[in-house]
Amino acid sequence: MATITAAGPAPRQRQQRIPLTYVVTLIPVAAALNIVGGYINGLLHLPIFLDMMGTAVVAIVLGPWWGALVGVITNTGSAFLTGPIGLPFALCNVVGALVWGYGVRNFGMGRTIPRFFILNLLVALAVSLTAVPIYVFVFGGATGHFSDLMTAAFLAMGQNLFVSVFSSNILVSLADKIISGFVALAIIEALPENLTASLPLVKAAPMRTIVVAAGGVVIGIAVMLVSIAVTAKS
Amino acid sequence: MAVNETTERPTEVTGRTVGTKEQLGAGVLGLGFLTLIMPWASTEIAALVAKSDPYAILSGSVMVLGLFIIAAGIAIIVQRLDD
Repeated sequence: MATITAAGPAPRQRQQRIPLTYVVTLIPVAAALNIVGGYINGLLHLPIFLDMMGTAVVAIVLGPWWGALVGVITNTGSAFLTGPIGLPFALCNVVGALVWGYGVRNFGMGRTIPRFFILNLLVALAVSLTAVPIYVFVFGGATGHFSDLMTAAFLAMGQNLFVSVFSSNILVSLADKIISGFVALAIIEALPENLTASLPLVKAAPMRTIVVAAGGVVIGIAVMLVSIAVTAKS
Repeated sequence: MAVNETTERPTEVTGRTVGTKEQLGAGVLGLGFLTLIMPWASTEIAALVAKSDPYAILSGSVMVLGLFIIAAGIAIIVQRLDD
């Protein structure tokens, strides 16, 4: 039986220097992945966001502040392409990058699959806590996303605006970050060995990693379906 | 064999490398760029969303961005930059 073990340096060990070539290649590709993911999500009106997969990859592989840069590039690029609605949410992308990056690289949250799963939940929570004030104060609680339906359902139940927006956003964000985190894990597995060898991240046979990533995506989709069911019932 | 030697030591044969210092610099640059375009964005958003006004959006955004810049500053202080 293939065992999943953590490899790489202990937390807080001195980080390896990365060739600049990898950075200037990976960051635009990650930002493009985010923009395309968000665009497809918008076209299909899915109840998730899909605009943080590249952020997760870069934050884990290169470092949290490189991930933050990807987040800023993503939302700025989207603002010029589709309008400025998404621009304030660049802060959410930055928060996600910092939690993923520091979580895996400094706190060893990627050493086992359960830890990585918990890290994705923490990212979802942190991103939701950042997004809710933006939703409420800037947009009055609605931006035209699928989660607005859920917000309306929670409001109809008698909750106040803050609680309603947080409840709908955390459900959507949980599904989104679980999917994004595990897709990022699969992408990281496909990157060159010298980029990922020193990372304190789960190591397994390639097929096993794909199975784990697919499992994570399935869990994310299940959360998404539950959130749809909650909205439909109420 | 020459090919194997190349694949075993890839980081040594590439040119410039980047570390923590450059990473934090890039993060601060991103936050600075976001701060620069927020006045434009807040005007545009206020035009799209009837409930908001540009000043409120801008003040809120600048406050939150300030927190992130403080976090970046703390990261620079805490992080060892001698790698």
